[in-house]
Amino acid sequence: MASPTLAPPDRLPLRRPESGRWVGGVGAGLAVHLDVPVAAVRAVLALLALSGPVGLALYVFWWVSIPSGDAADVARDTAPAARKKLSRGLVVERARALPLTDVAVAVLLLAGAVLLVASRNGMRVDVRWVLPVLVVLAGVGLAWSQLDKVERGRLLSGGRTPGGLVRLVAGVVLVLVGVLLLVGRGEPVGALVTSGAAAVAVLGGVAIVLAPWWLRLGAQLRFEREARARESERADIAAHLHDSVLQTLALIRRGSGDADQVARLARAQERELREWLYSDRPVAGTSVAADLRAVVAEVEDGRAGRGGPAVAVDTVVVGDCAPSATTTALLQATREALVNAVAHGAPPVSLYLEVGQDSIDVFVRDRGDGFDVDAIPTDRFGVRESVLGRVRRRGGEATITSSPDRGTEVHLRVPHEPSTENGRGA
Amino acid sequence: MTEPATPRTPRTPDDAAVPDLPVDVVLVDDHLMFRAGVRASLDERVRVVAEAATVDEAVEVIGAHVPRVVLLDVHLPGGAGGGGAEVLTRLAHLRGSTTFLALSVSDAAQDVVAVIRAGARGYVTKAISGPDLSDAVVRVAGGDAVFSPRLAGFVLDAFGTAPADLAVHDDELDRLSAREQEVMRLIARGFSYREVASELFISIKTVETHVSAVLRKLQLSSRHELTRWAAARRLL
Repeated sequence: MASPTLAPPDRLPLRRPESGRWVGGVGAGLAVHLDVPVAAVRAVLALLALSGPVGLALYVFWWVSIPSGDAADVARDTAPAARKKLSRGLVVERARALPLTDVAVAVLLLAGAVLLVASRNGMRVDVRWVLPVLVVLAGVGLAWSQLDKVERGRLLSGGRTPGGLVRLVAGVVLVLVGVLLLVGRGEPVGALVTSGAAAVAVLGGVAIVLAPWWLRLGAQLRFEREARARESERADIAAHLHDSVLQTLALIRRGSGDADQVARLARAQERELREWLYSDRPVAGTSVAADLRAVVAEVEDGRAGRGGPAVAVDTVVVGDCAPSATTTALLQATREALVNAVAHGAPPVSLYLEVGQDSIDVFVRDRGDGFDVDAIPTDRFGVRESVLGRVRRRGGEATITSSPDRGTEVHLRVPHEPSTENGRGA
Repeated sequence: MTEPATPRTPRTPDDAAVPDLPVDVVLVDDHLMFRAGVRASLDERVRVVAEAATVDEAVEVIGAHVPRVVLLDVHLPGGAGGGGAEVLTRLAHLRGSTTFLALSVSDAAQDVVAVIRAGARGYVTKAISGPDLSDAVVRVAGGDAVFSPRLAGFVLDAFGTAPADLAVHDDELDRLSAREQEVMRLIARGFSYREVASELFISIKTVETHVSAVLRKLQLSSRHELTRWAAARRLL
């Protein structure tokens, strides 16, 4: 648990820490909250408990009413996200909390023992109210055991366990019966039944009035929890990104003399950030556009331009569809064309992919000096086989236009099977 | 800008004679280092008269200087949180005299479309080179629209590329004409306006007219597809 010296300057929230507690964690929690030594708090609490039932009751009240948890964690979680550090550090698994049911049983036994001791010592104990009180306590314990953190989470997430519900109902019934017995001591049975029915009717009416509030509260809580889960997922992503940026910066600082390497690192990092910040991330194997970006990333990272420096590929994608054997061949051909453009052409290199209704078109363009297309020797496997052949075998077309002043543009077109149609802009 | 033709004569960097230079520019960006970098990279055709770092500052500075062109970052702090689009909305009364060129590190569809629909005359990413940026400033100063390949791709994505998506009449707001679609496709492929013109055997002026028409459609269209597309990307 957080020591007071390490705690933030303002007061920490009141929580019962799950580690370092002696009985219920009340002393430790109070110590953190009030910023005083644990030993002093414990001494005061022990004195109070020994001095009379009031101290004991106070302790039990705190035990039940203070939620368990780590005060420092809670303070951190409630701080505004913009002020928090993004990295969350390593999560250490904590021991599970003491179950409240055991505590309730212990309290009941303790109460019985106190009563027995008192009656033995000659105090006149009216036993007729002992049983109802015991029944009420048992019911309260049973119902409050539902307040256990884990159970509450399960209730809110909708997975209401039948066991939990039974315990709750049984607890409420026990409390009702106990209260009736306590209040209706000495009354005739008929009157008890009548008043019991009246009480249930009143409770029913109140329940009907409160039900909408309760339902709305539940829904709101659930919504907030989901929002918080999403928020924390986002924070995780942000932390991951910042981590990768840090590593890139470290690499850049180490190799700052090598301009090409720096440019390449910067470009790779820029691409990654862009992908995370500005585009949705489709599930792998569902998007040709995403596959194309992966191809571009590989070419940008792995290939140097004619002069040695890394070349950025200006990519524009219109439409999208699910990958197929044809699009895989198209992307392989695109990759070869890009490699050629980066290695032999001149930047900027432009890449345009359009998924139309009948066809998928790819244009790869560079601003190099161009070359004579007809003069490609038949044994130059690069262009002829890996680019043109691949596409033509899939029933597509491939054309290369090249001129000294306009650079080179490779146009690849394959038929688009309707079966893989995934809708434009999907 | 809703009116298709401004009283000023359109000029382009491709034309030899370009009058009343340099163009006065206000630079709006919240990163000091980036502003300094842009200032240094702009050439003599452009003169930066003032800078602003937040939405409120931008509204004030632009209102005071009324420059010919504003280079406007999409993501700006301050104001009601609307960034560049908010600046555009709050300065709607200046549209006749000042044109806005959006300049952003983001190439997300929502940012692009938001500022264009708010009235920007063009959109370029911050990766643009100094001479290209100066070209773009001169171009929007002359009343033309500046389309990056990425923006052309968004337009094609939004309006559709199928033949059925073509407008029968040129004035239909919800569809591109066949020519506009061709022009957009070439720009998306990385062609400059001059290259588009020679590819389609039309004049650069005609290319600019087409691009301006597309920009107008993008700003005014209530096309069902566009809204659906925008909804799918959580825009507008």
